[in-house]
Amino acid sequence: MARRFLTLYGLLFFVFIYAPILLVVVYSFNANTVNMMIWSGFTFDWYRQIFGMETQVTESAIYVDSTDQLYAAIRTSLTVALSTSAFSTICGTALALAVARYRFRLAGFYRTLLMVPMIMPDIVLGIALLIFFITIGMNLSLMSIIIGQSTFLISYVFVTVSARLAEFDTSVEEASADLGATPAQTFRKVTLPGIAPGILGGWLLSFIISMDDLVITYFIAGTGNTTLPIHIWGMLRRGIKPEINAIATLMLLFTLVIAAIGLYFRSRRQK
Amino acid sequence: MPAHLEIIGARKAFRTPEGGTMTALDGISLKLASAEFLTLLGPSGCGKTTLLRTISGFETLDDGDIVIDGVAVTQMPAHKRPVNTVFQRYALFNHMSVARNVGYALEIAGKSKREITARVGEMLELVGLSGMGKRSVSQLSGGQQQRVALARALAGKPKLLLLDEPLSALDKNLRQKMQQELKSIQRELGIGFVFVTHDQEEALTMSDRIAVLAHGRIQQIDAPSVLYQRPANLFTADFLGESNLLPVTLDGMSAHLADGQSFEVARPSGKATLLLRPEALAVTPPAGPSLSFSGRITQTYYSGKDHQIALDTGQLGPLTALIRTGGTPPEIGATVTLHAPAHGLHLIDETAA
Ligand SMILES: Nc1ncnc2c1ncn2[C@@H]1O[C@H](COP(=O)(O)OP(=O)(O)OP(=O)(O)O)[C@@H](O)[C@H]1O
Ligand SMILES: [Mg+2]
Repeated sequence: MARRFLTLYGLLFFVFIYAPILLVVVYSFNANTVNMMIWSGFTFDWYRQIFGMETQVTESAIYVDSTDQLYAAIRTSLTVALSTSAFSTICGTALALAVARYRFRLAGFYRTLLMVPMIMPDIVLGIALLIFFITIGMNLSLMSIIIGQSTFLISYVFVTVSARLAEFDTSVEEASADLGATPAQTFRKVTLPGIAPGILGGWLLSFIISMDDLVITYFIAGTGNTTLPIHIWGMLRRGIKPEINAIATLMLLFTLVIAAIGLYFRSRRQK
Repeated sequence: MPAHLEIIGARKAFRTPEGGTMTALDGISLKLASAEFLTLLGPSGCGKTTLLRTISGFETLDDGDIVIDGVAVTQMPAHKRPVNTVFQRYALFNHMSVARNVGYALEIAGKSKREITARVGEMLELVGLSGMGKRSVSQLSGGQQQRVALARALAGKPKLLLLDEPLSALDKNLRQKMQQELKSIQRELGIGFVFVTHDQEEALTMSDRIAVLAHGRIQQIDAPSVLYQRPANLFTADFLGESNLLPVTLDGMSAHLADGQSFEVARPSGKATLLLRPEALAVTPPAGPSLSFSGRITQTYYSGKDHQIALDTGQLGPLTALIRTGGTPPEIGATVTLHAPAHGLHLIDETAA
C-alpha cells in the first residue's frame, strides 16, 4: 500500500516538474497558428521562422522582423557568457585554491562571504549593481553586464571547485615535489588535472547561468545591449506566439548538450 | 667512508589545536652509511613519520641539521633534495599511466623521451611489472600499486630512499614477498634506505640497523640481533619481542633474584633488571649452572612450532616461555620447572630509562 503510494507520488512529482517543459516542446511543433493549445498537425514552421526561412504562416501569427534581432541577442549573450564564465572560472578557481591551501585568519568568514552572492535575491543584486555603476560613473554596456554577472558567478565556480579540492588528496602534490617538481610544475601536472572536473563543472555552470540570467542583467544592461533572455522577455510583452516555444526548445537543447558534455568529461575522468 | 645521511640534534614541535605544543622530535641524531638499510621502529605517534618528512623536506626543523652526502639540506626545499619517498598510501598520480608515473622524475628533470622510456622499462622490470606501463594505475592491485610507487621513487636515482610503512596495506603473503624483494633491490642498487614500520618482525628481518624511537627520542640504535639480545633499556626490551623482566639486586660479585637464586656477574652494586627471552627457558636443564623457575601453567597458546605458556611462579610473578614439548601439549594447571643457562644473561641498568 505504502509502496503504491510512493510510486504514485514519484510519478506525480515528475509530471509536476517536467509537464510544463514537455508542453513547450510539443507546442513548438504544433501547426495551429491561432491557438497553440489545440493540436492541428506537425510543423517545423516555427523553427524555420526563427531562422528567417520561408514559411506558410501568416504575418499576424509571428513576431515581425525578429530574426536579426534574435541573432544579435544570441551573439550578445554568447559574448557575455563566454567572457563572464572565463573570468569567473579563473577568479573562482584561484579563490578556492587560496581558501583551501593557505591558513589565514577569518578563513571561514571569507568562505561564507564568498557564498553569499548565491543566495542574494536577484533583484537586490541587480539594483545594487545598477546603483554602483551609476555611482562610479560607468556607462552601462557589455562590460557592466560582464562585471555584474561575474560578481555572483564567481561564487558558483568557487563552490564547485572547493568541493573538488576538498576531496583532492594533497599527498600527490607532495609526491610530485618529492620527485623534483617545482611548485609551478606540480600545479600544472598534478593539481590542475586533479581538480579539472571541478573547474570544468564550474565553467559550464557559470556559462549556463550567464546565458540564462534575466533579472540582474536586465538592471545593468542599459539600452542597446539585449541579451537573449532580455530579447525573449521583450517578445513576450508583445504576446505569446508559437515561435517562443521553438526558441525555448532550442535553448533547452543547448543546455542539455552542455550538461551532457560536462557529464561526459566527469565520467571519463573518474574511470 | 663518510656518512651518507647525517641528522644532528633534530628538534621539531607542533602546535596543538588546544594551544599547547607537542614535541615530535626531541633531539634526534643519527648517521646512515651509504647502502645501509635503517629501520625506524616505535609506537604510534613517536615521530617516525615526522622524522622522514624532515628528511624529505616537507617539515622544517625547529633546530638541528640534516646533511646528505656532506651537503647540509636543512633549508633546502623538498623538490631540490636528492631524496625520494615511497608514501604510505602510495600517492600515485591517478590521471597518468603506470609508465608516466614511473617516469615522472625524469620528465621533470627534462630527460629525453628515449631515455625516459628506457629507464621506465628498466624500473618496471626491476619491480616485476614489465609490460604494464600502459595501464592506468587505478586498474592495479594494491601490491602492484606499491611496486609502481617503488619504481617511481627509484627511477630518478635518488641518493636515499625513504619508505613510510610501504608494506602495511598488503596481506601477509604479499608482504613477505615484498620484504624480500625490497631487500634485494636495496642491495642491488646500493643506496641507503630509511624504512618505517610498525611490524617488529619486518624490522628485525630486513634491517642492517634499527632505531627504536619513543617520545621523539632514539632509545637505541643497533643491529637487530644486538637490539633483541642486549637491549639498552627497559623500553627497548619491553617493546621489542616478548620478554620476562625480573628485578635483581647486585652486590658487586653476583646478582640476586627475589626468590634467592643468584648468578655471577661483574657489575657495581645496585639494582638492575634481568631480561629473559621466552625462548631462553627450557624444560630440560642445560649443562652448567642454571636458573630454574617452578610454577603453575595458567595459559597456553599453540603457535604451530612451539607452545607459548604463561607460568605463575608465585614469588617472581608471571613468566612467559616458549617451549618445544614434542607432541604432548602442556596442560593448564600443571606444575612445571623451567631452566635457563646462568651465563650470558643480559642485565639492564635501572638508570638507563
Ligand atoms: N602536522 C602536525 N600538526 C600537529 N601535530 C602533528 C603533526 N604531525 C604530527 N604531529 C604529532 O607529532 C607526533 C608524531 O607524529 P608522527 O606522525 O611522526 O608519528 P608516527 O611515529 O609516524 O606515528 P604512526 O606510527 O602512528 O604513523 C604525534 O603526536 C602527532 O600527533
Ligand atoms: Mg607515521
